[in-house]
Amino acid sequence: MVDRISALAGYYRTGKFGILDNDTAGVILEDIRGLDLHQIACWPDTLDAVGKLVAKSAGCKDAPTPGKVEVGKKASVIRVEPLKWWILAAEAPEIDPEQGSTLDISHSRTRVRITGSNAAEFLNRHMPLDLREESFPVGSAGSTAIHHVGVTLWRSEQGYELFIPRGFALSLWEGFVESATQFGLEVV
Amino acid sequence: MSAKRLLHGGRIDREQPLRFSWDGGNMTGYAGDSLASALMANGETVLGRSFKYHRPRGIMSAGVEESGAMVTVGEGNRRDPNVKAATQELYNGLVATGQNAWPNVRFDVGAVNSLFGRFFSAGFYYKTFMGLPPFEWGKGTGLWMQYEKIIRKAAGMGVASREDDPDVYDHAHGYCDLLVVGSGPTGLSAALTAAKAGLDVLLVEQNSELGGDLLNQPVNQSEKQRLNFVSKLEKAGVRIMTRTTAFGLYDNGVAGLLERVTDHLLSPDRHLPRHRFWTIRPRQTILACGALERTVAFGNNDRPGVMTAAAGRAYLNRYGVLPGQKIVVATNNDSAYVVAAELAEAGAEVSLLEARSEISESAMALVGNNGVNLHTRSAPLHVRGSGSVNALDVAVESNSGWSAHGAEPCDLVLVSGGWSPVVHLMSHRGIRPEWNAEQACFVAPANIEEPMYIAGSAAAVWNTDDCMKSGESAALKVLKALGSKARQKKAPVAGGWDTPIKPLYEVKVPGRYLKSFVDPQHDVTCDDVRLAHREGFVSVEHLKRYTTLGMATDGGKVGNIIGLALMADAQGKDIPEVGTTTFRPPYTPVSIGALKGRNVDEHFRPLRRTPMHTWNLEHGATMTMAGLWHRPWYFARQGEGISEAYVRETETTRRTVGLCDVTSLGKIAIQGPDATEFLNRIYTNPFAKLPIGKARYGIMLRDDGIVMDDGTTWRLSEADYFMTTTTAHAGKVMVWLEELLQTRWQDLRVHVTSVSEQWAGSAVAGPKSREVLEACVEDAAVMPNDVFPFMGVIETTLKGGIPCRIARISFSGEMAFEVYVPSDYASALMELLWAVAEPLDGCLYGLEALGAMRIEKGHVTGAELDGRVTIDDAGLGKMASPNKSFIGSAMRNRPELMREDRPRLVGIKPKNTSQTFNAGAILCAQDKVSGLGEGWITAVTHSPALGHWIGLGFISSGHEAWEGKTVIAADPVRKGNIEVEIISPHMYDPSGEKMYG
Repeated sequence: MVDRISALAGYYRTGKFGILDNDTAGVILEDIRGLDLHQIACWPDTLDAVGKLVAKSAGCKDAPTPGKVEVGKKASVIRVEPLKWWILAAEAPEIDPEQGSTLDISHSRTRVRITGSNAAEFLNRHMPLDLREESFPVGSAGSTAIHHVGVTLWRSEQGYELFIPRGFALSLWEGFVESATQFGLEVV
Repeated sequence: MSAKRLLHGGRIDREQPLRFSWDGGNMTGYAGDSLASALMANGETVLGRSFKYHRPRGIMSAGVEESGAMVTVGEGNRRDPNVKAATQELYNGLVATGQNAWPNVRFDVGAVNSLFGRFFSAGFYYKTFMGLPPFEWGKGTGLWMQYEKIIRKAAGMGVASREDDPDVYDHAHGYCDLLVVGSGPTGLSAALTAAKAGLDVLLVEQNSELGGDLLNQPVNQSEKQRLNFVSKLEKAGVRIMTRTTAFGLYDNGVAGLLERVTDHLLSPDRHLPRHRFWTIRPRQTILACGALERTVAFGNNDRPGVMTAAAGRAYLNRYGVLPGQKIVVATNNDSAYVVAAELAEAGAEVSLLEARSEISESAMALVGNNGVNLHTRSAPLHVRGSGSVNALDVAVESNSGWSAHGAEPCDLVLVSGGWSPVVHLMSHRGIRPEWNAEQACFVAPANIEEPMYIAGSAAAVWNTDDCMKSGESAALKVLKALGSKARQKKAPVAGGWDTPIKPLYEVKVPGRYLKSFVDPQHDVTCDDVRLAHREGFVSVEHLKRYTTLGMATDGGKVGNIIGLALMADAQGKDIPEVGTTTFRPPYTPVSIGALKGRNVDEHFRPLRRTPMHTWNLEHGATMTMAGLWHRPWYFARQGEGISEAYVRETETTRRTVGLCDVTSLGKIAIQGPDATEFLNRIYTNPFAKLPIGKARYGIMLRDDGIVMDDGTTWRLSEADYFMTTTTAHAGKVMVWLEELLQTRWQDLRVHVTSVSEQWAGSAVAGPKSREVLEACVEDAAVMPNDVFPFMGVIETTLKGGIPCRIARISFSGEMAFEVYVPSDYASALMELLWAVAEPLDGCLYGLEALGAMRIEKGHVTGAELDGRVTIDDAGLGKMASPNKSFIGSAMRNRPELMREDRPRLVGIKPKNTSQTFNAGAILCAQDKVSGLGEGWITAVTHSPALGHWIGLGFISSGHEAWEGKTVIAADPVRKGNIEVEIISPHMYDPSGEKMYG
């Protein structure tokens, strides 16, 4: 099997840049490659049934409610729309079309992880989401736009996980690298 | 004005001298100085020239309302004109110059205008130069267009740099429970109260330090209190933003902020933006913006050496500059007494002209001990002096108004005509302020139905202690509004002066002509306002536009109230009867750079790159923009330009095989048990019986019967389809399908998902296309013609284990396939295909060759489907099923859309085949080359297959109607007229043998 190539390949330069504080960057960016992502959609009257399938498939107690993420034993699940979940797994559960549908979208997004003490502040340089602790705690997800591009943001235990439509990823990445240097940037 | 720096006092750091230059001369100031205070301390008086009359102007204030000391800061590509010296922080190496003057502001040739000032009244230029008699009587503005250039040069402000802006600018979003605008006593108190109660508070201050008016008070009097506040605020977790102006309020409480990040630095870190444009979404807002001191209109009230009383206090207490030696303070309210007292205390000789007849004992006590000469019933009448103040003619109250009463020698005149609460941000929300006659100012109405409270002197509360109470009370109201049970405290009412203010807007005496300014920045005088009234511009809105009162960079902060008062006087009405003015954002100017942020140059729009982008570049692609996409335009070989390259690519593809990145086509997954029914409703042709493993070309219409888009849809399984759209309409179609499902057909169990990013695609076109794919798939048995016929679809695996979808469809007219792989495998796909195609003498082709081949074939794209074309116009009427309903099926039958003589898709060729013609040309009958003609040309190309230029376009009644006739392609602005013939749009392989073969 040939290797997957990230949208940022060829442009990805690791290192530390900009205004560092004692050699520490306020923003750390990472291209998380090899994304496995499936969309699971249901119909209004199959929400509960498909939700249970999703939870079982991910290894969590319940499927997440809108705007939330469940980290299961087997996979994490993001509720991206009222009738849609994203499961971060290589396979989607088998679902009868009468119940819902599944779709492999593993290559459709570039996943960028943003950490560091200024991560939220940095993100708010680009997107209008209230990222204050009480509004967007760990386990939250939201859809918003960066420079007119629709993106999905998940706050995981590791940091902020941003899912960018692949074709726009490099363009937004260039903007990220430029604007993050004011906080001190590390690309890992 | 003979200002001098004091040895002690002020908030400046005398240990930190700063060198700067003014009009080429080197000067020194101190850390903590503003440019204005440093210039004042260096003895500079004339700092600017006025807009129209080129009158000398000096410092008039100590804040954002500054209208005199407008200067240019910086050099070269960082030259910033119209900077208010009073708000520019001094830094080491600052370079400032005067503007709107030649050779300099101290001696300006343009000042000759002032001699004719009487003629340069409101509307002078228009009245005099438009329709200039006798040359242009009744004819308009031809000559004006010439005069205007000269007049514009003579009048105006500073000049912006013509070079590219080297700075970067940032955008930012913020959220808070409470936004407090202004950090004077009111704002500090409000922020602290709210933060202590647990709210997330954002405190915004336009100045470099917190404190507001506390900064203008003697350091030994207020600094301890100020620092105490700041420390408590920090402890309570208040987020503080200094050098940040809340310039506008918008819907749902959204506030626009401008943060000046590096304007106070000579060489800022290149990673820092110059300005940051904040969009703040607070739950509640407290406006603690304070009040601005008004001046009074009197003769020569714009001379350098005339400023507001509060400014005199600021320069003394904040900057340690005694602004004059012999000072006249003129007032109509209590606020100027402390100014007079402190200036006298600092060593100035001070006279106080009091317009009122009586004052309180406490006010009297304030000035009595300092040797201030108090004159009641007195007011300033006329300033003597040109570049500075020599003396002030005084007026005293008489039965009929004012009468002249001697002169007072002085070098500085400080004026307090009352205070105007800063209600601008409230006004931005469309809330009209109300006139408070007792305080002689506009204030907020009692009830505001917005998440907003107004406190302190912004609510006409004048005393520091009351302001703090007012701030606290507003914060408690906010807490209540947010659901807290905080005990409420009554807010202090407006006022706070011992003796009521005496409204005073203009001082004049009968029979004496005075040049009295209402809006100094735009050179609007009292006479201009009266002239406007005489000429019928009695509405305040007309007055503003006729005289340009309040339309300068201060936005009417200085002159609006006086202008209103004069208009009221002229009409014999009270101020509220005349009206009010509406303040609009921004409160202070916002740089264009901040508005655009980082969306510049190649990031003006987000760039969309295909997953083959790098591969294409490595293989010699020249790129072009297609919407947001970067697509290969052509792949030039040594010595080729675009013309040679695309002709070769077209010829090669038709002869052997060509590869083309078609990733930008829109791709939509249509899934669900009702997907078939859904497709059958949106496409004009039948989709109910499309077998699994087959693709079908489809056209969708808008509701009004006009073509929206076209493309192929592939059936992958019973309930799973893969739709392709044009590149141009991908987003539009996706939104349209969602809209239909969410609003009209909620009963259909269908999900649509854009998979444009999931799949990367390449067209493999040409007689050898199958040969290429046979070598690339793991199982060549899927490729033969009988297994994989025209419009067939397979899902298989390419060598290297790459999963793929292939459809046998053709845009080029050759036997062709579209191959799609998951995007991360795009480069691998191209490597694989090219490794086979190159030895077969194949080529890579770009958008230009793609266009040439589709024109030869007569295939339509967005150039033809431009929102005016019906399915019949496009020659595809047979694809509209008469046996079913579909979107647009009713409206397409409107008589207008069914007319036989509508323009129809046709092919076009030049009569003399050595000639070329242009897209965009108008098709006209040979004997009638005029008007809108009979049609138009949408696309042209050189056709390698036919050996001459061809085009597509539309002409009335279609090609049959024009057979054998000569038509003119009229292109008057480019090529002139070319004789063309109208032919069938299917100019290459009309029977489709190559495609099916």
